[in-house]
Amino acid sequence: MNENMKKSDSIIQLKHINKDFKILNRHEGLKGSFQDLFSRDYKIVKAVNDVSLDITQGEIVGYLGPNGAGKSTTIKMMTGVLEPTSGEILVNGRVPYQNREANANNIGVVFGQRSQLWWSLPLIESFKILKDIYRIPDKDYKDMLELYATMIDLEALYGKPVRQMSLGQRTLSDILAAFLHNPSVVFLDEPTIGLDVSMKAKIRTLISELNSRKNTTVILTTHDMGDVDALCKRIVIIDKGTMLYDNDIEHLRRFFGAYRTLKINLNKRGAVPSDDEKKKQPENVQKVLSKQFKAVDFSIEPDEEWVSILIDESQIPLMKVLSFLQEQMKIYDVRVEEISTESVIKKIYEGRG
Amino acid sequence: MNRSERINSGLNIRAYLTLIRSSIIEYMQYRMSVVVMLFGNVVYLVIIYNLWKAIYASVDTPTVGGMTFTDTMIYLVLASAQFCFMEAYLVWEMGWGIQSGNIVLQLLRPISFETYQLFVIAGANLFNFVLTFIPTFFIIQIVTDWPIPMGVNLLYYIVAAALGGLINFAVDFFVGTICLYTQSIWGINIMKQLMVTFLSGATIPLAFFPETLRKIVMFLPFHAIYNTPLTLLIHNDLPMSEIGKMLLTQLLWAVLMMAVAGGFWKVSEKVITVNGG
Repeated sequence: MNENMKKSDSIIQLKHINKDFKILNRHEGLKGSFQDLFSRDYKIVKAVNDVSLDITQGEIVGYLGPNGAGKSTTIKMMTGVLEPTSGEILVNGRVPYQNREANANNIGVVFGQRSQLWWSLPLIESFKILKDIYRIPDKDYKDMLELYATMIDLEALYGKPVRQMSLGQRTLSDILAAFLHNPSVVFLDEPTIGLDVSMKAKIRTLISELNSRKNTTVILTTHDMGDVDALCKRIVIIDKGTMLYDNDIEHLRRFFGAYRTLKINLNKRGAVPSDDEKKKQPENVQKVLSKQFKAVDFSIEPDEEWVSILIDESQIPLMKVLSFLQEQMKIYDVRVEEISTESVIKKIYEGRG
Repeated sequence: MNRSERINSGLNIRAYLTLIRSSIIEYMQYRMSVVVMLFGNVVYLVIIYNLWKAIYASVDTPTVGGMTFTDTMIYLVLASAQFCFMEAYLVWEMGWGIQSGNIVLQLLRPISFETYQLFVIAGANLFNFVLTFIPTFFIIQIVTDWPIPMGVNLLYYIVAAALGGLINFAVDFFVGTICLYTQSIWGINIMKQLMVTFLSGATIPLAFFPETLRKIVMFLPFHAIYNTPLTLLIHNDLPMSEIGKMLLTQLLWAVLMMAVAGGFWKVSEKVITVNGG
């Protein structure tokens, strides 16, 4: 795609966006809290640091990062609820925080932890209210409901008050509500949080279908690599406010596909290790492994009662490590995990630093 | 793709009516709360009945401040009924929205936050007016043998109550905005409730106030919330000029208070948009 075309198609533009928060330095104890009443001792926290993005109409972008990385802050700036400290931001050609209400007409938002629906009303009533608030023409509204009906079994949901819905049904309803006025961008902030596997799959299918049918741009934040795999061609990774990665997912996988996590449990079934043991076990594993495989780097850390070992399989096969460990110690349980977003980010971060 | 850019400028009357309607439907889902509210009101009325009975028994004259015991009771019962429909707990709603961060969802509507709240509250007021005020009014009329004339004064009352409701909304919205700074709701709300009900003449009729205090109170907006509508309802013999003056005062207060509350919100919104929710 040539540069000019990209520009004309871009729906969200962020240029060198910064967001600082002023936070009071809190003191401990009763005396401290009392001091805080009169304190002017603020510290500046950089929540978002020089982030630039250019997002095209119809893209699904996975926006990843650990908790507190600045994902929600960026989304709030794009929706116009937060004003950037510096930098330029354009959504649909508008500066969101200056035209929040106009901007609201052309975006949809789902916060996985909150519902925008009317708690005690049946879903269909919420939809009717949204129809009037967003001034959706009768025909568009009807077409949208027909489209929804082809995707999921809605009849059962329409009459149900939101407060009686399961978390999955509620999330589903919230997503439908966000797309109802056919906005050009929909922000989904952790939409699959706390859902079971089949509901996650259902929601992914729904998002991907709505995106392709309506050519809606979707910005998705998540901790679930499954969401990313199923939906996003492009991913952006942010940590501590700084953008670490902005490229397609194949590229990332090629980069990190070689890593897998081996988790072993060294405690008898049902036994809970003491804090001391939790610290000792990884150290012990580290000692044993580094003795045997001198040239290989392992990153080993405790994870609840497990010992988690990150293995670069281009250096050594995971099975080899496991079979060696099994000869050295009594292993009660084993798990193999694909690398998690958190570990990917950690790797990128270590690579940069 | 045909995604026509919708520019929603101007008044979206349909959305306002929908918000009123949604608020009413939402209230109907909690039918029991009406019963509880009525019960609470009955308890309150029993207390003030006995309290004022004792007050009147302790003086020799049958009237105090120009009001007989029955006058006082009628006024206070109607005041409490009006309180029931005007108190829609906006301060709680706003404070809770600010604390939980759910206010973000309302900021993301294509309608201004203040307008949105206004119509939701209007729906709640309307619902409670029909369910608490109207029955209370007729019970009083029947029990005390129709002391309130059924004439044009009812119309004045409705106009005055609507204006009073607007002032009440502005006060609530102003106090709710303070929650942005304090992050606390309870104390502020209790203080607001005490101040408004006392200074507006809802707990004690203004006729009982000492002269100086009454003069001060008449310079504040609160009397226009309770005292004005109730006076227009109960007294049938007011000259036209007096009625006009009362309604005009209310209108001025309503415009002024809405402007102040709206302006305060606009300035305070920065607290959210600059320093996060």
